Order: sequence, then structure tokens, then C-alpha cells
Amino acid sequence: MKKKKLVLKEIFLKDERYRTSYYFSLEKLKHSLKEVELLHPPLIALRNDRFVLVSGWKRVLACAELSFSYVPVLITEEMDDLKTFLMAFYENLATREFSLLEKAEILTRLKRFGEDEKRIIRHYMPLLDIPATLPYLDTYLAFSQFEPEVKKAIYEKNMSFLSVRPLVEFSSREREWLLPLLLPLGQNKRKQLLEDILGVSRKNDIPVQKILLSPEVRAIQESGTLTPLQKADSIRLLLRKKRYPAFSSMQDSFESLLRKIDWPDEIAINPSPFFEEENFTVTFDFENEKQLKSSLLKLEELSARKDFSKIFKLK
Amino acid sequence: MPHLKFVPRKIFIDKECRDMPLTKRILKNLGQVPTEMVSDSQSFLEERRISRDAIRQGKKDLFITSQKGEFIKPCPCTPRYLGCNYFIINLDLNCPLDCSYCILQHYLYDPILIVHANLDDLWKQLDAFIDKNKGRSFRIGTGELGDSLVLDHITENSKDLISYFRGKGPVLFELKTKTVNIQNILETEPASNIVVSWSLNSPRVARSEEANAPAVEERIDAARRVADKGFFVGFHFDPLIRYPACEEEYESVIERLLKMVSPKKIAWISLGSLRFPPSLKQIIQERFPWTQIIYEEMIKGLDGKLRYFRPSRLNLYKRIIRCIKENGGEKVPLYLCMESETIWRDALGWVPRGKESLESYLSSPPGNFESMNAS
Repeated sequence: MKKKKLVLKEIFLKDERYRTSYYFSLEKLKHSLKEVELLHPPLIALRNDRFVLVSGWKRVLACAELSFSYVPVLITEEMDDLKTFLMAFYENLATREFSLLEKAEILTRLKRFGEDEKRIIRHYMPLLDIPATLPYLDTYLAFSQFEPEVKKAIYEKNMSFLSVRPLVEFSSREREWLLPLLLPLGQNKRKQLLEDILGVSRKNDIPVQKILLSPEVRAIQESGTLTPLQKADSIRLLLRKKRYPAFSSMQDSFESLLRKIDWPDEIAINPSPFFEEENFTVTFDFENEKQLKSSLLKLEELSARKDFSKIFKLK
Repeated sequence: MPHLKFVPRKIFIDKECRDMPLTKRILKNLGQVPTEMVSDSQSFLEERRISRDAIRQGKKDLFITSQKGEFIKPCPCTPRYLGCNYFIINLDLNCPLDCSYCILQHYLYDPILIVHANLDDLWKQLDAFIDKNKGRSFRIGTGELGDSLVLDHITENSKDLISYFRGKGPVLFELKTKTVNIQNILETEPASNIVVSWSLNSPRVARSEEANAPAVEERIDAARRVADKGFFVGFHFDPLIRYPACEEEYESVIERLLKMVSPKKIAWISLGSLRFPPSLKQIIQERFPWTQIIYEEMIKGLDGKLRYFRPSRLNLYKRIIRCIKENGGEKVPLYLCMESETIWRDALGWVPRGKESLESYLSSPPGNFESMNAS
């Protein structure tokens, strides 16, 4: 390994064969570089008479933004791509956590550079805290094929594996359509929306595009009064009803019954999850005996109302 | 057309088992099938686990090894639903049939057909187990982690098992299958505490979701022949799968079944609806991309498994139970697999009082069911 001071422009940044990090902020690093310059030289490999960056992408890009002319580098004489890549991999493994997308890129590079698939599963995936199974490998490899806008959204929203996983089931085009709907939602709702739209599409054999262009969805999309979050949430609820019609209908009947008997907000009443059992749960808060008695009297009064018994006959 | 019997592509033999009588019998029955000795079974299995298409490939090969742990285990059932105190014998693991909904795709760690050859240990463990539970009537069977008969032309295990359990009433031994591999059964003298049972479904589900399994009519015909031989038979409509007009198709199967097989020879009929852990959904999606069964309306049950919404399950059970009763099966013991007390009460009109009540209801010597007094 040779240490050298290299003209920054001589580093051939178009060759990204070893690159696994794409989405990051350079601000803190730039600040540090202004104060103390570059202390840890990036790793370079010589390929076809060009200096190809192996590791240190953040450092080099930050130097470029600060218009540094020269950077100190380490040049490896290793010619094998896999062995070269592993230098960068192990260097990073020891010093930092990898993001979801970086893990995807690492596994893709290992495969591309000819590492045995079984060794990737057995050896590298545990190092990356990924369950050592083939389906997980395939899923991560699929993540690395996502479109740049999708990857950017995953990075910016810090999406978890579970909320990204359903995206694999969609085509590139479909992901493009879905992205604006997903961005305003939180992790759980995002996952739910993806699973529900996939379920509705597969069950009824309707393309995702057709669902998204249906008059009901378009009416929500074109609403002038709803915020992006409200639009996304309304579409999510619409899809939920399509995916779970019987459950949604019972839920609606339950809620409508509560409205009919004027059930107070301060006393919560909930059916068993998904109405799987016939019991209901009532909860309320109280700070003293008087409040407790008042709520109990209210409950007694509510249970005597004409429509209350219908709660036990919901079908 | 007669259904083809399974022949493995290759037999792998754990070197510790090469001289065991069952290994020799399998090799004799399989003639020309290539074999390979395995000296390190852990590495062998590990290698297969991470192979591409491991589940499908695993259904093609046979691994003869020994059961290192307990052969007999209580059926795990599922948390927060009623169990039936069934005991399972883990003799063969996995299955060459390829049903899309099969829980073994998720449940079994080793994706290869496994035959445990250390039968001497099985008999010893069974002796001890029966001795420990002396006087108790319980059901025990081999068909939970594999099909009881699909390898029977190769292993001939049914002969040994029937011979072992003969006269051991009140223990009821069940061989559960989807196949018509009944030659050994037909050559064996029946015993009153042996039940041969079939998993049945609608012809449409059998065709689309139960790859390599014989048609439903063939299964019913096999059951008739076994019942005619003098054995008691059982039927498991499990998993019931919902699709438009499924009720009518299930009813047709029941009508046919009760015409072909005398209800007096039926030890029990069980019903269960499709349910699976959420992680199986992805496996089904990947292995059977054409199947629609995972896209029906399913909710997360009390045990965390996906299952049909309660009113949908209940309606299906009620239709089937009514059909069984209207077609001469009013005295056939019926039970629900992994269902809630609510569903038991609404579908069957009674709820077992704890595990023992159900065990007693289902374990009485077949033929004496009339005397059972279910609460």
C-alpha cells in the first residue's frame, strides 16, 4: 500500500464499482475538513490506468465541494476486485453502522465480484446483522435495484426493513406512482398501505395503476382542501375497506351504533381485536370516588338505552 | 388414472444408520435409486438449507437418519385457541406433496424428506409413554409433520405401527394422509383402535393448491376401500379455503363422502379453516405466485396467525356441519381444529370442558361414540 498526494481531479469518480454509500450529508465532514484537513486518506485502486476510489467517498466528495486541489490517498496494489472491495468493507465494518441501503449495496457488490452465494449468506450477512437466509439475501439484492428516487426516500425517511420490504413486490413504474403517497405516512401506515394495495390488486387481478387511477382515489388526490398527509391517509383508509370489506363493515356498524347511542368520548369501548372474540373492553379514567361513581352511573344509563344490546348482535 | 407413487431422486444415508433394518428395507424397496453416505449430517443439512429453491429440491430427495430427540410430542396446537390433546410421533418429516398452504414450509428447519430409521428407540419411547399414561384414552398419530402414508411403499412403517398399536386400546392411533398409498393397509388386519384418515378439500382446492396429491374422489375411494377392509376412517376438512361458491363445492364432497363411506365406520371428522403465521405468507407468495388464497380477507387472530374473519369462518363451518348431519352423519363425532370457544359454541353447540373433555370425546373406542356424553 503506497501513500501518495493525488490531484483530486485525477480520481475517476465515474467508476463507482466499489461504492456502497450514496445518500449522506457532507456538512459536518466539511466543517471538520476546514478545521483539521483530511486526516484519514481514502483508499484508491489503479484500474486501466485510472485512479478508482475504493473507500472514502464522503471524504473525497467533501474535499471536492471545498475545492481542495490535492488529497492524500492510499493506493493498493491489489488487482482482484473482490479482495479490494473487502478492504473497504472491513475498514467500514469496524468503524460504523451500515444503513439499510448500504447493506443492500454491499451484498450486491459481493455477488457481482464473484463471492460464493453460500459464503455471502453464512459469513457476511451475520456481520451485517441480517438473518442468514436466502430470502433475505434476495430481498436486499432487490432493494439495491430500486430507483434512485425511491432509495433517496428510504434514506430520508429512515425507512425500516419491514416497511421497505413490500416495495419489492411492485414494478419500477408502480413504485414511482406509489412514492408520493408513501412519503407523508409513518412506518406502520406506509407498510399497511403497500400491503393493502397489493392485496386488492392480487385478489381482484387489477393492476396497481388502475386502482390508483380509480375515480375514488382520484377524487381524493385532486381534492383542493386536503393536505398531502390527509390525502395519503384517506387513500390508505379507502384501500383498507376494499381489502377488509367484512371487517370494515362490522367496524362501521359498531361505530355507527356508538354514535346512535351517543356514547361519550371519555369512556372508551373497544371490541376484541378484529372482533375475534365476543367480549368488549371499557376503560375510563377517574381521580376520585365521585368521578368513578359518575362514570359507573353513566355506563349503567348507557347500557339501558334501547339500542345498546345491538352491540352484542353485530354480524 | 392411478396415482404415481413417490420415488426419490436420491437417497442420502446418515452413516450411523446404514445398518439399521429400516435403511435396508428402504434400499431394497427402492432398487436403483442412487445413494450417498453422509458422514456429517449437520453440515449436510446446513448446506441444503441455504440452497436456492431449497423447499422444492428437498421434496425430491430422501435423507435416512436417526431421531436424536423425542419421537413423541404433544401437538403444539396454537395459543389461545382450544386444543384437542393430540400427540404426534415425529417419524417422517416433510412431504413430497407440495400444498401451497402447507405450514411445514415455515415450520420445518430442514428442507428435505427425512425418514428416522431408529425404530427400536421409537418402540421403547412408545412403551414408556403408554405406560406413563396407563388407562388414559388419547389420540396419537404420525401425520402432523409429514404424510403418514406417502412413503409407506418405501418404508412399510404402517405395518409396524399398526402391529405395535393393535390391542393397545384405549389409545387411538391415527395414520393421516392425502394419498391413496393403501396397499400395506389393505394387507394388514384391522384393529378397533386404528384410524386411517384423509385430509379432504374441494376438488378445486385440491387441483390448484395440493400439487402431487391425488384427486379428492380418489382419496374418498381409498377411504372406502380401507373402511370396507374393516378399519375405522377419519376425515379432516382442513384447511377449508374460501372462494366464491366454495360452500356448495364442500357440500358436494361431503355428500359424495357420506354416500361412499358408511358413517358407522367414520371415527371423526374435523374442520379447520385456513390459518398461517404471517411469515408463511411471503413463502407462499414466492413459491406459488399464482395462488389467490393468501389474498382473501384474513385478520390477525388471537394467536397472531392470519385467519378468516370470525363470521366468515362460522358461516362456513355451519354450512358444512349442517350438510354432514343432513347426509347421515349426525352421529359422527365432529371437532374443530385450533378454534375459539365462541366458534365451538356457535358452530357445534357445545364447548369442551378443558382438554380432557375433548380428549375423552374423541378418544373413545370408535363405534361407541353414541354413548359419549358431550357437555
